[in-house]
Amino acid sequence: MNPHELEQLLLREQSGELSPSQRRALDAEFAANPAARRFRDQLRALAGAAPAPAAGPAPDAAARIAARLSPRPRIFTWKPLLATAAALALLLGVYALRPGPASAPVATVAVAAAAEDEDWTDLLDDDFTELEDLLAAIAAEDPFADL
Amino acid sequence: MDDDDANLLAAYQRGDAEALGRLVEKYKRPLFAFLSRFAANPGEADEWFQETWVRAIEHMNVFRQKNLLGWLFRIAHNLVIDQARRKKPDCSLDAPLPDSGAPLADLIPAAALSPADEAAGRDLGGHIAAAAARLPVEQREVFWLRLDAGLPFKEIARIQRTSINTALARMQYALAKLRADLAPAYREIQESRP
Repeated sequence: MNPHELEQLLLREQSGELSPSQRRALDAEFAANPAARRFRDQLRALAGAAPAPAAGPAPDAAARIAARLSPRPRIFTWKPLLATAAALALLLGVYALRPGPASAPVATVAVAAAAEDEDWTDLLDDDFTELEDLLAAIAAEDPFADL
Repeated sequence: MDDDDANLLAAYQRGDAEALGRLVEKYKRPLFAFLSRFAANPGEADEWFQETWVRAIEHMNVFRQKNLLGWLFRIAHNLVIDQARRKKPDCSLDAPLPDSGAPLADLIPAAALSPADEAAGRDLGGHIAAAAARLPVEQREVFWLRLDAGLPFKEIARIQRTSINTALARMQYALAKLRADLAPAYREIQESRP
């Protein structure tokens, strides 16, 4: 076994990831090669000599995380707008394509329109008459008579 | 996911702020230890710690891993890689200087142990930390995830989205560089063995 392969097996051994066949190969290497055990001890010593990690975050870290996660103002996105526009377009389409009321016969419509026109003419005639009477009354009076 | 973690997350999502506090407390040591190996100072590590949790909670809907700590490390890994890319110098140390033609690296003090470090002599941990800080970020991650967090290579590979063999190879490269960098201190480690 070359040193590279040995180191890989030793690393797997330390992390508890040796397969049964790798375990057997490593044990055989230990039995045959005393240097293999020294190499393992070196690796263990290195791991043991590594400096202790930092203790922990600031005491209020959890509160600050919670504050950052509190509901934020909604960011504008196109998706809701597009969905609304699509819904409106659908409604308009349905409205435009709806079946209309049954159409009335032409003669009936013409008679009704004529009757309506007649009513309007009478009303206009009445208004003109009233206006003429007013103008006549104004003309009869002399606004400068008292001056 | 751990039942306890799942319950705490569900409680937090129902509005129980204390549940989040308990989760943060549960995983603060390994996560903060990892981040502090890469941050420039404790304040930056603290900021990254918060950012990791915020991203983890906000993206909980895509969480597919079996354990929450693995998920947190995965996010922390992304954050560390992003930061390393941002801090990457935009000039090469091998580029010759215009006036002397010598490479820029020649002007930078050697990355080996400083006189103060040498004087410290027995501070093996300090030597290891300083030498590890000079490793490429992926190797450094494997090194500290293995030594600090005690994660198996299978889990480290998952965090780095690589194969277990690559994770192992990164560890081996890291060890080879540390041996070369720490030759005097490494001898001391060997001699200090009982």
